[in-house]
Amino acid sequence: MIERLETERLILRRPAARDEAGAMDFLLSPRADRIGGPFKPARAWQVFAAEVAHWDLRGYGGFAVTQRGSDRCLGIIGPFCPTGWPEPEMGWMLWEEAEGRSIGYEAARACLRHLFRDLGWSSTVSYIDADNARSIALAERLGAQRDTATTPPHPDDIVYRHMPMEDLPREDLG
Amino acid sequence: MIERLETERLILRRPTRADEAGAVAFYESDRSKFVGGPFKTHIAWSCWAADFGHWDLRGFGSFAVTMKGDDTCLGIVGPYYPATWPEFEIGWLIWPEAEGRGIAYEAARACVDHAFRDLGWETAVSYIDPENARSIALAERLGAVRDDAAPRPDPEDYVFRHPRPERPA
Repeated sequence: MIERLETERLILRRPAARDEAGAMDFLLSPRADRIGGPFKPARAWQVFAAEVAHWDLRGYGGFAVTQRGSDRCLGIIGPFCPTGWPEPEMGWMLWEEAEGRSIGYEAARACLRHLFRDLGWSSTVSYIDADNARSIALAERLGAQRDTATTPPHPDDIVYRHMPMEDLPREDLG
Repeated sequence: MIERLETERLILRRPTRADEAGAVAFYESDRSKFVGGPFKTHIAWSCWAADFGHWDLRGFGSFAVTMKGDDTCLGIVGPYYPATWPEFEIGWLIWPEAEGRGIAYEAARACVDHAFRDLGWETAVSYIDPENARSIALAERLGAVRDDAAPRPDPEDYVFRHPRPERPA
């Protein structure tokens, strides 16, 4: 099981109990409205705890995004595949303090490589609230294309589809 | 970390992946109405996954309840303490096939004892929907009493407080 990815500026690692407070701040904030919230407090904790459990239940999961030299979690980004999901998703949630520095892009790109290369996915989607302009911009920067033929789990979402990045030289895969 | 308890008829063990289908079916069904359900499948999964992840996050958690000699999970019972809970809870969720045989009582009794004895809890509560007559009856059978002054995550819920179990001489 691959529990750690590295990029130029970031370490992505398996999330842990020490990431809980930051995740709860995010999940109880208005920012969470765009990922299925607002969540009741009890439900917000379940969302975080499920991200942690996803690793044991599926053998992979979303990564805690940290900057090199600091273990502080800035968001959770990566594969997400709950029972009942139409297909495996590439998801991202980023705490406010991490915005505006392309951290989401750098982490998401590493995760896409991981899920195509290590997990062997042949394609994946991101479900994004139609009003979430930042997230849509990130999907497009990652090269994802709108997929209007696929039904998202929430009617307010739109679907972006990622395809394997063929331009990745093997030696650059981290 | 104590991941297994034994009673006369039951083995209580840490949940595993094999317990997922039954747990998700519970959270998708009307039986989960007293814990906020029924939920869409992916949310039902996330409720189950949170029960599972609780062990990683807290170092303790609720147990899969099984009969001795059969590892099939019949429910999830035990200590529950998510981030936003006012205090430590003992919770119980029982799948329909296990109802009516005192299984929930036997499991919950062992979990209350475990929480005080092994986890060192000073007190424990159960948050129960006022319309959940079976659950209220179970709390009362366990010796818990209504505590109307206690904070609660949902203002609609009753709080039942468990007495400290008597230590064997």
